[in-house]
Amino acid sequence: MTTDMTKVLCTKSHEYLIKEGNTLKIGVTDFAVEQLGDVVFIELPEVDSSFKKGDIFGTIESVKAASELYIPVSGTVIEINEKVVEQPELINNDCFGEGWLIKVKDFKEAEIAEAMTYDEYKEFIEEEEH
Amino acid sequence: MVMGNEKDLKKTALYEEHKKMNAKMVPFAGWEMPVQYANIIEEHLTVRNKAGLFDVSHMGQIFVSGKDSLSFLQKLVPQDISKLIQEKAVYTQLINTEGGIIDDLIIYRLDENRFLLIINASRIDEDVKWLLSNQKDLDVSIDNQSNNLSMIALQGPVASDILENLGLTKENQPKRFFIKETKLSNNDVLVAGTGYTGEDGFEIIVKNEEVGKLWVELLSKGEKFGLKPIGLAARDTLRLEAGLFLYGQDMTESTTPVEASLVWTISKDKKEDYFGKDKILSQINQKNESKRLVGFKMLDKSIPRHDYRIYINNEDSGVVTSGGVAPFIGENIGLGYINTDKPTAIGTKIDIMIREKLHPAEIVKRPFYTHN
Repeated sequence: MTTDMTKVLCTKSHEYLIKEGNTLKIGVTDFAVEQLGDVVFIELPEVDSSFKKGDIFGTIESVKAASELYIPVSGTVIEINEKVVEQPELINNDCFGEGWLIKVKDFKEAEIAEAMTYDEYKEFIEEEEH
Repeated sequence: MVMGNEKDLKKTALYEEHKKMNAKMVPFAGWEMPVQYANIIEEHLTVRNKAGLFDVSHMGQIFVSGKDSLSFLQKLVPQDISKLIQEKAVYTQLINTEGGIIDDLIIYRLDENRFLLIINASRIDEDVKWLLSNQKDLDVSIDNQSNNLSMIALQGPVASDILENLGLTKENQPKRFFIKETKLSNNDVLVAGTGYTGEDGFEIIVKNEEVGKLWVELLSKGEKFGLKPIGLAARDTLRLEAGLFLYGQDMTESTTPVEASLVWTISKDKKEDYFGKDKILSQINQKNESKRLVGFKMLDKSIPRHDYRIYINNEDSGVVTSGGVAPFIGENIGLGYINTDKPTAIGTKIDIMIREKLHPAEIVKRPFYTHN
């Protein structure tokens, strides 16, 4: 299944969020995955844990290093992707689809509005690289 | 790691070749080096199953010659260099007056009175300073050729077939831990049967001006054998899986070779005095070292990393010096130091503190991997 990229919002720390009704699906962007290389370990929070925007909600590890994951919105975790914990390579294969990380509820619309569209994010990356 | 200004980074003679192959370049020990050409795990497995080509030109080459060469070197290392026959190589360490490791290196005996020392890139300045300060009035010349020579490592089960395809017959190739001065595609080279991957293979030393065409020729003549260029990231996972140490992490000036579990590299019956000898022999004979290097594997899916703490029975008991994934054996493994008031035997259950949680691990035999 291909992702509708117009629905993808991104942060400067390379997480994305996709709104699906009352829940938000959160993961890491394709750019982040490309930078990381092979994802070999992923640590996700417990279901029902609550976070404030910008909190560390997990860790993603490539062969080279461990990186922290920052939650783009405040909210409560209602589901984690157990499949990526077992098969972290799903993140490399399909980060916006099968490689999603957590789903969150009770978020604030205003916080979502602070994220970039995917097109804005691509511009942001290009500026970062120069 | 802060490695200084990127503008100050040195480039090897193969820099343009790496760029052509779209290698990702990173700073390492003051050099701009290829960290990966494609995928790290694939590069790792290529070396285990076929063969890989590494640019290791950042490493240092020092030639020691003169009639006092042997006695000069005997003073600096715990190995008995007098036992080195011509063309033979040995792994050893430069030791300071306190018994600490200044660097680890391979010494090759090229001739009765001529030796080659291959040393770590990050330690070239320190090593040269140390060698010069011990030159005194000995008849010995210390010739640091690191800036004029390049080095390529050809590693993996088919490395020998590839050299043969370049015209160096198997009878003329150096055996493991030997070195030969020879020709390879009309270039004057030193070919050594050494490496840092746990595989059979060679390290080829050649002048900077000649390395480019040799690199290209090796890759093209090695292609049908599955040869690929390999970056520093896979070099690190390969050496860790083979239980080989990285200077600056697994040993430093404040660790002795006994603490680093390198007793097997010390000649116990060496008559000559060498720096740190009393300390080293006392640690061997009285087992009074305060820490000891061990290898361990994780018992869950977590990944140990440099600087994580090691716990035994819920007590902080040591530190991880190298850790990561071992792609060929499919385990997450590490090296670390444990205080010797704690058990360090193989099979001991330990824990690694990762992000404020203890994760189970077990001390295991090193190397983690041996080919065949």
